[in-house]
Amino acid sequence: MTDLVHPATAVAVSPASRNPALALLRAVARHRLASVGLVIIATLIIIAVFAPVLAPYSPFQQDLYHVLAPPSRLHLLGTDNLGRDLLSRLLYGARVSLLVGIVSSLVSAVIGVVIGLIAGFRGGMVDAIIMRITDAFLCFPPLIFILAMSAALGPGLQNVILAFALFGWTYFARLARGQVLLVRELPFIEAARSVGVPATRIMFRHILPNIVAPVLVAITIGIGGAILVESGVSFLGLGVQPPTASWGKELRVGFTYLEAAPLFSIAPGVMISLAIIAFNFVGDGLRDALDPRLRGANRVSR
Amino acid sequence: MGKYIGIRLAHALVILAIVVVLVFIIARIIPGDAIMAAMAGSVDLHDPSVVERVRHQYGLDQSIPVQFAVWLGEFLRGDWGTSIGTGQKVLDMFVQRLPVTLELFVGATLWSIAVGIPAGILGALKRNSAADIAVTTGAIIGVSLPPFWEAIVLIYLFAVLLPIFPPSGYVPFFEHPLLNLRAVVLPTFVLGTHAGGLLARYVRSSLLEVLGQDYVRTARAKGFSEAAVIARHALKPGMIPVVTVIGLSWGGLLAGAFFIEVVFAIPGLGRMSVDAIFQKDYPVMQAMLIVVSLNVLLVNLLVDILYGYIDPRVRVRG
Repeated sequence: MTDLVHPATAVAVSPASRNPALALLRAVARHRLASVGLVIIATLIIIAVFAPVLAPYSPFQQDLYHVLAPPSRLHLLGTDNLGRDLLSRLLYGARVSLLVGIVSSLVSAVIGVVIGLIAGFRGGMVDAIIMRITDAFLCFPPLIFILAMSAALGPGLQNVILAFALFGWTYFARLARGQVLLVRELPFIEAARSVGVPATRIMFRHILPNIVAPVLVAITIGIGGAILVESGVSFLGLGVQPPTASWGKELRVGFTYLEAAPLFSIAPGVMISLAIIAFNFVGDGLRDALDPRLRGANRVSR
Repeated sequence: MGKYIGIRLAHALVILAIVVVLVFIIARIIPGDAIMAAMAGSVDLHDPSVVERVRHQYGLDQSIPVQFAVWLGEFLRGDWGTSIGTGQKVLDMFVQRLPVTLELFVGATLWSIAVGIPAGILGALKRNSAADIAVTTGAIIGVSLPPFWEAIVLIYLFAVLLPIFPPSGYVPFFEHPLLNLRAVVLPTFVLGTHAGGLLARYVRSSLLEVLGQDYVRTARAKGFSEAAVIARHALKPGMIPVVTVIGLSWGGLLAGAFFIEVVFAIPGLGRMSVDAIFQKDYPVMQAMLIVVSLNVLLVNLLVDILYGYIDPRVRVRG
């Protein structure tokens, strides 16, 4: 990720700093909400990686004598309808959500940026055709498409990610194209063209680094969106299959027992919300750090 | 203005054509087997002549372009096929459930305006104050909350702990207006949360931008009171993004309705669509995809035209 930031943000972030990636990180850390978000994300990643160490019980271990138990010293968040420790299941659930969120957003970004680069750089008919198709895809809210695809392909994580790859790219394509149109006319591109640099190389070596900043913001916010869609798909009963622990699935089962064991549905939702909020906080901070116009406005007001 | 509308309309028609082809392709990739599966109980699929007859009956033995033309013709004439799940005419199912979902949409939009716009104005006017921080933080949280969880929390708070509202169910307005309103308070609030957060953000930043404009400074320099400057000069142009945000969130509302209608057991388009997806009820899914995209397309077109009307600069650029 650090290399990605490099060329585009060198000027935008802090002209005085030697290492732009570090400067960007510093700018984000100064941003109040973004630093809160970073801490939450770091915690979630640690939870996902070290779930087996952190979890007090196996997420699959059933105790049918203690189903829907209220919180106690033995089970900090109580147990679910099969007597499994809720806390342990939530810790393991972080794996599914983070994995789907990050992979889906990255895959969508790669596909979308390539399409947007081609449309913006080629222009003319190619651009018109690609963008009308993108507009058509944009008419379908992604969640509806992903649900339909997951149902058609059958449940399972890889199918959710595949559905994302098919329908998540449109936003990135539009974003990348808009950025390319801004960069394309700059003198250094003309210079590269005039000395005979091939088009593909101009696209990926000269233009791409200069549109990375807004794409990075979109990827961060996209991870939050993908976590939302994944948990939603799991909530409706597609997505990961039991007995794998997933926040959306716990939430759905817990909803059935809302009166008897409110934590059973509320706690997984807290995890989902925290994860989405954290990525949106960081995305927002990145946007502020990368947008020179906004920083200027800040300075004036102070 | 006429030319601008013409260009927008042409764009929308091109996109609509692509959408229709896309939906046809998607529907053709999957359901050939679905028809066979649906017929499996009633006919003997091991007999090739029977299979041939079924294929002929559903027009599957014709060339793809012919199938497309036949399907499109039927769709335009209002023959949307028959639901595999309920056996009802698909068009009737939509007409029956549309008012329910529309009521949710309108309610959600009202909530988002009632909460989002004042919050955004407050944030902009009291910039960098505690109130502003609360607004910006609250807006991101509002945009982030998963609707199904927010719904569950509100049901727990206001239907289980404090039984003010019913936990689920729906009563048509014309049957019992009061019960209807009581039943839709929570669902519409949850559905409007996302758009409310978006609105607060956009109104805040757009108002801030306007407040930094020269003509606002001129108004101040002329000695207008701060209240007059804001009310007469800043507020109106600052409200332009409201149109966009409401338009953009319209498409998302339907996705939200999928969850809201499931959690609150409301018999609208969202629940029907979820049921259709689970039962692989392709005629309903196909019609749903077209209705959804038509909805988004029309609202976008409306936003574009409104925008050109409010902000004449757009007409030249666009």
